[in-house]
Amino acid sequence: MMAPRSVVLDNEAVSALLDPGHTKHRRMLARIEVAASRNLVRAGAVELLVPTSVRVEAGWDRQAAGAAPVNRLRVHDAPLDTATANQAARLRRDLAVSVADAHVGAVLAAAAKPVAVITSDVADLRRIAGHLGVQATIVAV
Amino acid sequence: MPADDALGRLLTLLDGSAEGTAGTSVRLPANLREAATVAVDMGYALSAAELTVKGLHDVLEAVAQRALLDQHYKRHPQDRPSLAEVAQAAAELDGDPVAEEPALIQEAAALVEERETPGLARPDTVVMIANLLRWSRSA
Repeated sequence: MMAPRSVVLDNEAVSALLDPGHTKHRRMLARIEVAASRNLVRAGAVELLVPTSVRVEAGWDRQAAGAAPVNRLRVHDAPLDTATANQAARLRRDLAVSVADAHVGAVLAAAAKPVAVITSDVADLRRIAGHLGVQATIVAV
Repeated sequence: MPADDALGRLLTLLDGSAEGTAGTSVRLPANLREAATVAVDMGYALSAAELTVKGLHDVLEAVAQRALLDQHYKRHPQDRPSLAEVAQAAAELDGDPVAEEPALIQEAAALVEERETPGLARPDTVVMIANLLRWSRSA
């Protein structure tokens, strides 16, 4: 049990954060508040991460006209670079998960620890983290 | 500059590329300056300037994050989570077993809000008190 240094968002977490009408919107803002309050006490304490393939899946265009302030909440892109793509490809091959879930898994492996992930698919993420041997706190959206 | 314009400018600058530098004169406390030199000598940083920039960047990111949330709540006050909700989120993200007892977290949040200025109470304090309540009642 440790405060996470990295918090990774999956598709449903992103959707809940971006859509004020989403039933879990306020709950997601509470999670962002945790990061914001800890970062004010100790700058850089918590990094919020969104795998870029998750952003594609969720249709999150940071440059969309009229993007709300919540759209720029310092949730940083975790890109699908060479190393991450290799890791994600192995996960997809071994576990037959979606591209986005494989990318989430690769980001979990690479992120600063301790790491937490907010997801609508707790069982799959638990399976991915277990396969990777990554100790991650898996939080349901 | 109006607050919304200032925040927009801050975000644009933070999101911009790091091309170009500006010379500036900053008086650093002597102990921090020497500590930075030691950290560089130990191989944990490239330069004292890099450490200074990283520190400044992280603080500005935290300020922007807070300001964005405040701006969002100004427009959508119903979206502002309560202290208990934020504490619940903190316990969940930390994997703290007290997350399974939301009633304790709500009780702890009420205790903290009674004694502190609203808005300044920190969610981690609530989680700690919830754990104390849990411990005292199981003892």
